[in-house]
Amino acid sequence: MRKGLDRAFTACVAACAAAVCALVLGIAGAIVWRGMAVLDWHFVSRLAAGGGGAGGVLYEILGTVILVVTALGICAPLAVGVALTETVYLEGREHRRTRRWLFSGLYAANSIPSVLLGIAGLIVFSRWLGWGKSWLAGGILLGLMILPTVSVALIERLRSLPRKYLEAAAGLGLSRSQVIWSVHLPQSLSGLVSGLLLGLARAAGETAPILFAAAVFSGAGIPVGIRDSPVVALPYHIFVLAQDSLDPAVQDHLWGAAAILLGMVFALSLLALPVRLRIHEEAKSA
Amino acid sequence: MLEVVAQGEALDCELGEPVLEAENLSVSIGGRLLLRSIDLRIEPRRVLGILGPSGAGKTTLLRCLNRLSDLVPELVISGDVRLHGESIFGRDVDVDALRSRIGMIFQQPVVFPGSIADNVLFGVRRTRRLPRRAWPERVERALREAALWNEVNHRLREPAARLSVGQQQRLCLARVLACEPEILLLDEPTSALDESSTREIEELILRLRERHAIVLVTHNLQQARRVADSVACLGVRDHAGELIESGRCCDVFDQPQTPELVRHFSREPR
Repeated sequence: MRKGLDRAFTACVAACAAAVCALVLGIAGAIVWRGMAVLDWHFVSRLAAGGGGAGGVLYEILGTVILVVTALGICAPLAVGVALTETVYLEGREHRRTRRWLFSGLYAANSIPSVLLGIAGLIVFSRWLGWGKSWLAGGILLGLMILPTVSVALIERLRSLPRKYLEAAAGLGLSRSQVIWSVHLPQSLSGLVSGLLLGLARAAGETAPILFAAAVFSGAGIPVGIRDSPVVALPYHIFVLAQDSLDPAVQDHLWGAAAILLGMVFALSLLALPVRLRIHEEAKSA
Repeated sequence: MLEVVAQGEALDCELGEPVLEAENLSVSIGGRLLLRSIDLRIEPRRVLGILGPSGAGKTTLLRCLNRLSDLVPELVISGDVRLHGESIFGRDVDVDALRSRIGMIFQQPVVFPGSIADNVLFGVRRTRRLPRRAWPERVERALREAALWNEVNHRLREPAARLSVGQQQRLCLARVLACEPEILLLDEPTSALDESSTREIEELILRLRERHAIVLVTHNLQQARRVADSVACLGVRDHAGELIESGRCCDVFDQPQTPELVRHFSREPR
């Protein structure tokens, strides 16, 4: 009886895992299969033409990279600051309440619908600051959007740091900032990388935050300056093409652009894989 | 082995000016007393052994001596610890500089991810702003002092984690010695080691005594007898650690005055 239950439980778990894998592979396969008709070198090296039904997606790729890299630049230092504040500077019982507020705030921020961020960006950057549509506004909004995810991943990593390292470093006479630079940051790099990966993968595919304050469908190239310097980006491109998807030529380009976006997200994961593996190996051997 | 014992006994001699002394030191946490009114004298070029049962507060006491206790903000400390007559709890004391003068070795070796050389330089290149050209000389000197140079000189760039546990503990000692501390606090440094590695560390302690004051926390009476010049025995009274007897090794071991020690020594091989 117990063996039968055990087998049934194992089968259920395996079925759940298989269903998830099948879903991901199915979606990815369907996107690539449908985009096959346009996926070639010309597609990634040419500019869009004919309302998205012809040409390529060169500027859309570059625009997405600009937004993602800006989001990375905005989010990484802020996340490190938030995580160090929570785990190092607010250490001790007397800061317990502040820590709890900060952590709850991060989770609350993570649940803000991305379209609200887009509207906030429209009000703050486009109207108050008078930037119009700007790549920087988009990067900042995406950076803020992924900030809670990255911060929480980093906080969890910092909390799990063996205390013996901190004591050994402090025992050698290192100041608090030196302990941060020599122990906290190097050893929490895996948390930062995995958090950023999760966040950037989400940011790369988000349309709502860049809809009002950063992206246009056409007429933008490489942005120069900040004010009135929009970008064209893959998610927004896909969003607009999807509304016009009855035209078969547009459909092919839609799926092609989606496959490129998917490829970018996978490439991000693959790029970070060696770093994560090396860090895990070091942690294991330590 | 015989040589070690002979050296240890030979240095049971007169008292000098203390480099570090604790006076009426009490430690509590959340209203619970951990240590009560401890008085200690640590003299230059001498080994002070701190003995006591688990829970007597030996490690807590050791951490108060270089203010590593500050890492636990909940600890409340009263009384004083003086380094060359100056309180280490004074407002203007540079705690980081203090800790680099009073080096500490922990029960379990703590090696950082990185090479053997990186580990030796971990503290000194940050606290002393050691120029890069001076690194190789400092690594060699520290590893020689820790009796590890001959075993690792051909693989300084290898990960430190590949060393045996005994070698890792000596590497930790080299890392502390590279910072040129005046006093060494050793918190049961051989508790994770086999007999042969324990002997190596003990011989090392006896060599280091020529230039450093050493405080050695140990459970092992034989070890204390082999390497310590004087001992301070902690016991638990009314749920708090207390200094029950201290003095020269031969006096405390051969003629214990307190009933706790008499009972304890009668159970343990000396």
